[in-house]
Amino acid sequence: MITNGSSGDKFKGFIASRIVFVLAIIIALLAFLYFSRGISIILTILIQVTMSLNLESGYSGIPQFGRVAAVIAGAFAVGAIPGRIMAAFMGLPAGAEYASDTVNFKLVPQINAVLASSWLISLGFLIMCLVLAGLSGALIGWLISRPAIRLKEGYLGISMLAIGDFFMWVGHNWKLLVGGSTPVNVPDPFRVFGADRFNVIVPVFFVIAVLIFIYLNKLTQSPFGRNLRMLRDNDLSANAAGLNIVKVRTQALVIGAAIAAIGGGLYVIYTGSVAAIGLTRLTFTFWPWAYMMLGGIGSNIGVFLGVFLLTILRTMIIIFRSTWFGFLMQVGIDPLWLEYTLLGAVIIIVILFMPHGLVPEKIAPMLPSKRIKKVLADRQAVSE
Amino acid sequence: VASMATIGFYVIYTGVTLFGGLPYQYYPFVLIVGAITGVICYYGLNRPLLYRKAAETTLMMSTLGYDLVLLSLIQMYADFLTYNFKLFPRRVTMSLFDFELFGERAAAFILPIIAIACLTILHFFLTKTKFGIAMRATIENPTLAGASGINSDRVYLVSWIISGGMAALGGSFMAMAMTGTPVMGMYTIPLMFAGAILGGLGNIYGGILGGMVIGLTEYAGVYLLAQQFGPWILGYRMGIPLFIMAATLLIFPRGLSGIPLGKIIKNLTGQKRGASA
Repeated sequence: MITNGSSGDKFKGFIASRIVFVLAIIIALLAFLYFSRGISIILTILIQVTMSLNLESGYSGIPQFGRVAAVIAGAFAVGAIPGRIMAAFMGLPAGAEYASDTVNFKLVPQINAVLASSWLISLGFLIMCLVLAGLSGALIGWLISRPAIRLKEGYLGISMLAIGDFFMWVGHNWKLLVGGSTPVNVPDPFRVFGADRFNVIVPVFFVIAVLIFIYLNKLTQSPFGRNLRMLRDNDLSANAAGLNIVKVRTQALVIGAAIAAIGGGLYVIYTGSVAAIGLTRLTFTFWPWAYMMLGGIGSNIGVFLGVFLLTILRTMIIIFRSTWFGFLMQVGIDPLWLEYTLLGAVIIIVILFMPHGLVPEKIAPMLPSKRIKKVLADRQAVSE
Repeated sequence: VASMATIGFYVIYTGVTLFGGLPYQYYPFVLIVGAITGVICYYGLNRPLLYRKAAETTLMMSTLGYDLVLLSLIQMYADFLTYNFKLFPRRVTMSLFDFELFGERAAAFILPIIAIACLTILHFFLTKTKFGIAMRATIENPTLAGASGINSDRVYLVSWIISGGMAALGGSFMAMAMTGTPVMGMYTIPLMFAGAILGGLGNIYGGILGGMVIGLTEYAGVYLLAQQFGPWILGYRMGIPLFIMAATLLIFPRGLSGIPLGKIIKNLTGQKRGASA
């Protein structure tokens, strides 16, 4: 995916990317003023999920059509474990009956009362949630990588898609885990702040997203990131160069799954309940793919942009559905379905007309040029 | 593309509810509509990508995008039917429109006959006609087939027509057995994929075999397991075929049709490995 066009192409791409960037920032600012804080929370979560997808599919070339599996792992871990631990400490029923729909709605307010009493416990609870989500995501990523890693491209993508759906059905049917078809409530670590809950959630989630962004940027510029790109562009030559393909791919899958699971955990902390049927392949696999493809495969900034633009478009459809699409409503069609059309159309248009996305991947040298010169000079000095 | 199946179902539904008659007399229309959606997908999406030599993942993603567009159109169409004709197209039991044959629902006799007829025609088309052989050659090795003078463009077009028609027909079959909803394609797509890759991609007989295995385990296998372990297992109906798929792919990464049967038989009958080479 190296962009080696002529200089004119490069110039056009440069201008286009700058204009789009400025536009995106303006639209984003307007959106922040216009919409509620809910949308910016969803944005940060989707950015995390999409960045993890970008690590696996954009940098490593693994056709990850089962992103939802890791998100579900994180969501279930946060829904099932931390609440039980709290319940066990408080001497409340913490076993199978915790997730039962007749007990859970009485337990969670009691836990919330304890959490609301001290910010220290709340902080600890939040950290516990994130760690558990990350760990379970890593575990699921590793488990998925076991059968999947040997498969060829198409087989791999399809089996991941199937695994993602399978996890959703397990959560929907296994009552012990997250209550099956009745959603389980999640204790709320932001209850301490009372009415300011949303005002606190936005910066906290944003900081987590930025930390993950910095981590992934460093990771993809490190030798490990170089290995991933080598694997994606030509796995035969990577193997010939002495790279352990299975190991590197497994590492990418585990890291990506852990990050996506943290995203899933934050999502259920924000919504306050886990309903397995709500964690669909549409929201957590296909939309992130659309974001990534629009933003540019293999560029983390592009992911930010793609998520911003598309989420805002989606919300616009929902908000302005009666004014913009009144003609559809007159024949009885609900304009909400246009969301699906938009998703499909974005995927198709991006694939057909701009396969590199808004911000094409740039292959930059791994070190600053001064240091490269210094290293070369040192080597010459040694050889002489 | 899964929504093609749903489209097939809605063509039947519209025909039966608006124009009356038996579901079976609309099957030709189903084939035609399915084929048209296939052609649109090929010309609009697949051909430019094939010319660009896009990666397999890109092709898959683009078909998934097309699937979503179709899904949204179907949903809008369902809304349209509800509003203008006062129908209830979101939960449909097609078997109500069926007639009785020998004390059973006619679907139990007619559907297998149509399915077997389709497969037989397909088999003869692929093995006996010149174009069918060209098709198989293109699927196995496009470059070589092109070099030997096969018009691969036409081959892909015909294969999209056939697959679109068959998918739509399959969807209309499905609706005779279970409740039809706009999202039924969306929910069954993992199983369809599972059937295809269990059999092995790029092999029609593998597809038939994989579909049989998946379908049987989903219904008969789960029924047997439920008798053994209790009814809670019915909820995991989807999981069991997927588990079988994962297990098979662990042992045979290229699916059932990728199993080197000839080699295994030779080994079992005592011939030394590599003796034939």
